[in-house]
Amino acid sequence: MKAKIFASIAVAITGAVLLYAVSDFPRFGDPRSPANAGVEGGSPSASLYYIENTYRDTKVPNLVTAILADYRGYDTMFETVVILTAGMSIFAILRVLRRDDAPGAPASAPDSSDHSIDGDHHRIIVATTCRIAAPLIQIFALYVVAHGHHSPGGGFQGGVMLGASFILLALSGSLRDTLVRFSEQQYLRLAFIGILIYAGFGFLPLWVGRNFLDYGALSGLLMTSGEEMARSHSMLGVEIGVAMTVMSIMFAIFANLSTRGRLHGGL
Amino acid sequence: MILTILSVILIVAGLVFFFGAAVGLMRFPDFYSRMHAAGKGDTLSTLLVISGFALYQIRGIHDLSHDWPVLLVVLKLLAIVVFIYLTSPTSTSALADAGWEDGIDPVIEPGRENHLEDDCRRKKTPTAQNPEPL
Amino acid sequence: MIVTFDIIILVFLVIAAIISLSVKDLLAAAMVFGIYGFLICLLWAEMGAVDVAFTEATVGAGVSTVLIVATILNTRRKSTD
Repeated sequence: MKAKIFASIAVAITGAVLLYAVSDFPRFGDPRSPANAGVEGGSPSASLYYIENTYRDTKVPNLVTAILADYRGYDTMFETVVILTAGMSIFAILRVLRRDDAPGAPASAPDSSDHSIDGDHHRIIVATTCRIAAPLIQIFALYVVAHGHHSPGGGFQGGVMLGASFILLALSGSLRDTLVRFSEQQYLRLAFIGILIYAGFGFLPLWVGRNFLDYGALSGLLMTSGEEMARSHSMLGVEIGVAMTVMSIMFAIFANLSTRGRLHGGL
Repeated sequence: MILTILSVILIVAGLVFFFGAAVGLMRFPDFYSRMHAAGKGDTLSTLLVISGFALYQIRGIHDLSHDWPVLLVVLKLLAIVVFIYLTSPTSTSALADAGWEDGIDPVIEPGRENHLEDDCRRKKTPTAQNPEPL
Repeated sequence: MIVTFDIIILVFLVIAAIISLSVKDLLAAAMVFGIYGFLICLLWAEMGAVDVAFTEATVGAGVSTVLIVATILNTRRKSTD
């Protein structure tokens, strides 16, 4: 009870301080706020630069993707590494790599324990719908990845949706069947391949003497008509790498969490 | 003009069914009948409302070679209709089944309890895979 | 940006947050947390940040709810405080 009182006092004080800070914020969409107008209205700010020059520099209409994958590519690369690290730590903590289980543990009897109105039928309904829906979700996810620089979306969102489609299959059917299609070896490999694709797009410009992640240098390699299109196409490649990592890590986290790291049985 | 009237009729019908679903959700006596109201009403009303949107978009097509983006919007709306038609009844079924597995008893007219017990409810046997909920 | 709509969503956000903190059944808390994620997604979409809303809808409301439920089913369902 005492801890609760202390916690609520701490929450109240923090909330009061945060609310006090809110009163100093500029108005929503204020053109003269520091984020939008630069220092003292003098030099143009970063956001103004992006708004004016992104389409000219990269031929990408969606500014958000262009900033994430090109101007701030370094950030995004290590965000992806953070996701990979999170997945790997969950893997390291939870995964049980012994082949034989403890004798007390039950053999994985597949779903014989339902006591529903009509036995297995409910499982058939849900599993069939999810089997139909999963390819649709995956197609939409690939569209989100590939179309990410023209419409909202990108590697993270598409990757999470791809991972969610596999999670849906594992939830509605059985984890074992899903692991046949997308095995542990495959998803661990894909996670690292995604990061390597991103880092590869970063390291290739170094080859021709440009900066790390300076996609414009790839116009010769990608056979594009100019540096702008090279940047646009490199963004697509980078997003694909991000999507691969995120998809694999999402499914790895779910598989390990739902089975306590044994990868059989499941929810 | 006809398309506008049709789309308005569809949307209003959808809203009526939404209202029915909401009223059923509040007033029906037990979990299963509430599930029935929410699932059926929601599915049908969402379908009607989105079809109404699609019809309203078709209104803007005069010349197909010029207006094809509108047609794309219509196709996307129809894809949403198909997807909801697939998934919404399934989720209702899954929810009702989860309620049954959790041991929620339906409200039955007096005198028919034993039939229900004999017909469909098997004895619950908690296993290691599905332990008794706490 | 419509201020009335914003205020309605924010009120629902606070309600969802309080419910998900105060409910004893952790499974119910996880579900309310999913609702909270969808409300935040709605708020961001309404403010014009469609990319962020998309991320929130997939990560916050979709996958993280599933992960929380998976964790609860493997641990305990009752909250101790």
